[in-house]
Formats: sequence, C-alpha cells, structure tokens
Amino acid sequence: MHIPDGYLSPQTYIPLIGVFVATAAVAVRKVKNEVSARNIPYLGMAAAFAFIIMMFNLPVPGGTTGHAVGSAVIAILFGPWAATIAVSVALIIQALVFGDGGITAIGANCFNMAVFMPFVAYYLFKILSHNPAKKVRVYIAAFISGYIGLVFTALLTATELGIQPMIASTSDGKALYCPYDLSIAIPAMAIEHLLLFGIVEGIITALIVSYFLKNEPGIIYAFRKGGKNENQ
Amino acid sequence: MENRIPAYMFQASSAKQEATGIRKTNLTFLDKTILSSARAIKSIYLQAENAAKKDLVHNIHPHVKLFSLIYLAVIISIANRLNAQLLAASLILVFYMMARVRIYQVYRKIFLLAFLFGFLVVFPAALNVITPGKIILNLITLDGPRQFWIYHIPQHIGFTLEGFQVVSLIFLRVLNSISVAFLVIYTTSFPSFIKSFKIIGVPDTFLMIITLAYKFIYILSRTIEDTYFALKSRLLGNIRSSNLRKLVGGRVFFIFKRSMIIYENTYYAMVSRGYRGKVMLAEQNRFAHKDFMALLVIIASGIAIILI
Repeated sequence: MHIPDGYLSPQTYIPLIGVFVATAAVAVRKVKNEVSARNIPYLGMAAAFAFIIMMFNLPVPGGTTGHAVGSAVIAILFGPWAATIAVSVALIIQALVFGDGGITAIGANCFNMAVFMPFVAYYLFKILSHNPAKKVRVYIAAFISGYIGLVFTALLTATELGIQPMIASTSDGKALYCPYDLSIAIPAMAIEHLLLFGIVEGIITALIVSYFLKNEPGIIYAFRKGGKNENQ
Repeated sequence: MENRIPAYMFQASSAKQEATGIRKTNLTFLDKTILSSARAIKSIYLQAENAAKKDLVHNIHPHVKLFSLIYLAVIISIANRLNAQLLAASLILVFYMMARVRIYQVYRKIFLLAFLFGFLVVFPAALNVITPGKIILNLITLDGPRQFWIYHIPQHIGFTLEGFQVVSLIFLRVLNSISVAFLVIYTTSFPSFIKSFKIIGVPDTFLMIITLAYKFIYILSRTIEDTYFALKSRLLGNIRSSNLRKLVGGRVFFIFKRSMIIYENTYYAMVSRGYRGKVMLAEQNRFAHKDFMALLVIIASGIAIILI
C-alpha cells in the first residue's frame, strides 16, 4: 500500500501533496478546537499508537502474515480528523526513517491512508453500528469498516498507479514510472486486498475495537456524545 | 551394598534433550516482526542521536539537509535516463563515504528495501506482455496470439530490452531515493531535522507532534520488547489461533494504556515547564560557510544528474 519513490510522476504526486497539505491544515485546526491544550501530546501519542499498530502482524492462510494499515481503528478510536494527523505523522516517520513509502510519494500515501481511508472507515462504522450495547453488531461493523476502508483505499492507490503509463511515457510508449496500466494495477491490488489484506485489516480492527468496547468503551470516539474529544 | 541412587541420576544430562523436551510456543510470526521492528526503531534512534559529531556531513545545517533531501528526491524522480540514475547513485555513495557511516550495513538495508519495492514489484514489466519491444530472451511460445477478456497475449512471451530498461530505471530510482533519505536520517538528529521543516511552511504544532510521536515510538518499542519477554516467559506449548488473536488484541490494548500514561506524564511535564497550548520551536544555528558550500555542491550535483 505504501507507494515508493519512482512509481508516481510529478503530475500525480504534486497535486496529491497539495490536497494532503490542505486537508492536514484543516485537521490540525479541527482537532485543536476539540482537544484544547492537550492536543499536541495527545496527537503525538495517537501517531505513535498508529505506528505501533502497523507493526502487529497476523497469520493469514497460506503461511504468510499481513499487517494492518490501522487507519480504520485509529479513526474509530480517535475520530477521523485526529486519525488524519496521527496516521500521516506515522507515515512521514515511516518514509523518512524506515524507507517505507517514498519521499515524493508522501503526499499520495498520506492522502490515501491518512485522509481517504479514515473517513471511509469512520463513517461506515458510524452507519453500521448504532448502539454500543449490541456488541456483535459493533464487531461486524468494525470488521466491515476496516475491510471496506482498506479495499477502497487499495483501489484508489491502484488508480493512481494505473494512470501512470497514460500520463508519463516516452514517445515510443515506454513507461517512465509505474509500468502497469489500470487493467493490471486494479485487478492486482483488488484481488490481494479483497482476499487477504482486507480480511487482516478487518480482523485487526474488530479485535481492537472489541477489546476497547469490553474494557474501556468511553475511549471510543465514534460512541462519544456528538463525537467530540472534550475529555482529552 | 545395594545402590539406592535412582537410575535417572546416572544418565548424562543433555542440553539438546532438554531443549526438545519443551514445546515451543507458536509465536514465531509475532517474534520476528515485532522484535525486529522494535530493534530497528531503537538502532535507528540511537544511530541518529549518536552520529559522529566531527564528520563533515553531520555538521551541515539541518535546513541544508532538508533542502537536499527534497531537491534530490525530486531530481531523482524526474531523471528518466539510466546513466542519470547511475550518476546519482555514484554521487550518493561519495556522500556516504564523506559521512563516515557504516556503509556496508546501511547499504545492505537499502538494497533489501530497493529489491523489495523497486525490483520484485516491477520485474514482470520486463516481459513483452507489459512492455512491448524486441524480445531478447524468449520464455514461452504459444500456438498463436490469444485474447483473454481485456488482455492480449502474444504468441511469443519473453523479456524485452525495453522492459529491462524500465525495470532498471525504476529500481535505480527507488534505490537512490532510499539512499538519500537514509543518508540524511543517519547523519542528523531527528528532532533537529524535523524542526527544519519550518522553512517549507509546516506549522510548529505539526512539527511538535512528529517529534513527540518519534520519541513515543522509541519508548513504546521498549515496552513492546519488555512485554514480549514477559509473555514468552509465561507461555508453554502451542496456543490456539483464537487465543493468539486475543493475545494480539490484548497487547495492542496494553500498549494503548501505556501510551495514555506516557502522554499524561508528558503533558504534565510540559505544563510544569510553562506550556499553555502554544508551540514555539527554538531557533536553530545560523548558516556557516560550510553550509553554503554544501548547498552549492548539492545544487551542482542535481544539475549534473539532469544534464547528463
């Protein structure tokens, strides 16, 4: 899911950096209003937590393992705007320190995983889980929000990659960036995320939400009155 | 006189026997990923914080390093010729030598990442099915060309020269980008590097969040390691998958609780030092002659990469 450097042309990564910067600016203002003076250490903690969640792997059929992006669970626990900041900070640290995701692709990766995915997952969870008392429904809602959030994000990423041969190739048709067009990028990303990584994301989201629901339901942002972080 | 010592006391103890007698816990996937990630965080954190202070690259102003990172990343992304990427790779290697980092260890990591992200993923593009061109190594010959849904499969399937050029270009681009990022990270204290993001207009609040998150990650990675050893010492035998999933959920919850405690402590420590919700990062040192020289070298390197 993390797009490395070299796969996206400047025509793609520059606008995505712009969109991400604008959204991050709104997110910082929104979260500042919601969480008062504590917002900075709180968001630092949320970002570190988002980073750590990405470290947890689960065994998947076939003897391999997969890790969650964590945007869905972070959005459910902290709210979508806080998730935008937290996950983008985690992604920036990953790109700079671990080489996971490119420097020029930071805007694209943050837009996909820190803006698009948290909002899709959060509102899906809100729609599907009305009442925290109905625990089974909440678990299913958490699974679906993680699963659908990741699959949709994978499709968005595949579209960004798949348009590269159309917008950036040599005169003789040789690809300069991602060589796979939409007919390859979309099925490749869709199949592995529909059958494998989406399930892992769904399970991890449901597991963590169920644990919080059982032990400290008050922490879950999606179930707070009006969805505000007043008590932070 | 009758020997009353039990027979098993005469048997030589075998370390191997003991080792095989204990059933291993089935936590290998957690062991490998979590422990290696936690150790990687610690090693990078310590390496950056303790980077040799006397070498030339370490002493360059963080603003120059940030500019160099962004400038070179963009140059590498727009350089579309193989020789330009090879020149970039050579120049970056020279910078590494000047930085006096452990080149073998760093490049081993860089090549592994470049192989994963820049080679394995794009290697199929060397086939004529993806990149049409002159076949230089034929793999399969079919009875005739075929049409499968929206995909056209040619009669001869093999690697093309153009395909290898595409794969090489992307591999070198990924390799160079990772090398530049690691060069900056391995020679700069992360918090001072993050502070320099101010020059590109990133607000102080956001920079403070990144700096705190980075420190929290380091502290949490230690917590993860401690939790791992505590857990490992209390488990015997294989555990069921359902229990394993509960274990993962529990550990994430525990880390969240630890994060909350660290966050509360950090907040009160900040308040006690005068924090009232506004962030003002300390000013960094002024540019020295060596910083201007470094800037010129970087700009000249970028122009050379583009013009070659």
